[in-house]
Amino acid sequence: MDETDLLNRIRQHPENFSEIFRLYYKPIFGYIIRRTGSFDDTADIAADTFLKAFRNINNFKYTGISVKVWLYRIATNEVNLYFRNIQKHTSVFQRIDANDKKIFIDYITDDRKEAEYELNRHEQFMSVLKELKTLPVKYQEVISLRYFEGKENKEIAEILDINEGTLKSLLSRGVEKLRKKCNQI
Amino acid sequence: METQNFEKQLTEMEKPEIHNLKHEDILSGAIINAKDKSVVSWWWLCVPIFILLMLMMKSTFMPGTTLISNMHDLESKQKLISVAFFLVSPLILIIINVLTIRKIHFLSGSPKSLSFLEAVWFNILIIAVSAFILIIYSL
Repeated sequence: MDETDLLNRIRQHPENFSEIFRLYYKPIFGYIIRRTGSFDDTADIAADTFLKAFRNINNFKYTGISVKVWLYRIATNEVNLYFRNIQKHTSVFQRIDANDKKIFIDYITDDRKEAEYELNRHEQFMSVLKELKTLPVKYQEVISLRYFEGKENKEIAEILDINEGTLKSLLSRGVEKLRKKCNQI
Repeated sequence: METQNFEKQLTEMEKPEIHNLKHEDILSGAIINAKDKSVVSWWWLCVPIFILLMLMMKSTFMPGTTLISNMHDLESKQKLISVAFFLVSPLILIIINVLTIRKIHFLSGSPKSLSFLEAVWFNILIIAVSAFILIIYSL
């Protein structure tokens, strides 16, 4: 799919943003839940990520980074704000149409059940995540993108807007710190 | 060696996956219909600009007065109002707009070209007007 074409269509008709939502909401939601380990926080952060993306899509210029990388960048920033505990969540959920609200609550209850079941059945992952969350955010983001999301160094460097040398050194120090913490369990 | 094994373990470890999200479509609609409720707007600059324009007119039409003397005259009569409009609000607007430019730079994918200037020209204009008011006031 040609992203510049999609961006132009969104500029003309903002409702076409739903295509971006359809393509990337699930992967971004997955990324956030693998960073936070909590469904409710993930739902808030993911909604904020896409709200920010929607409001700034007209400012987004295609300068080499893809929409996907851009969304990961916003999501990473939102997760970092959440960890620093300074994020004030927007009330996107309160803006849902009254007619849809009941259905939305039912849907989110079902999604929560499914996600929590999925989290609970990955005990090893959850214990590693618990240790990872005790490390500084700069290590959390590189380890999560590299080992949980399986991204290549080039893409991680683009998402975090850092050079690959810095990334490699963050990864090696971060993994070593995490290994020591996990060995203490 | 230990680190390499640990890296392999991290890579191969099973991770939770999100396969289905029922709430996705309703949320997408809510986001597309969401209005920006930001309270930070250039309207906050209108009051000092209005007063400044009035003082400019006064200095043009009243002989023997200048913009700066009129501002100092207003300050001696209405100290609080002139500090609020000519010092505090331009300062706040400069800070807010610098932060907004930083945010737009991040959210627009860190572009390095003129296109970024296109996106932030209004913020730059507000900073320039605020700085002008601050300079005039401090003279």
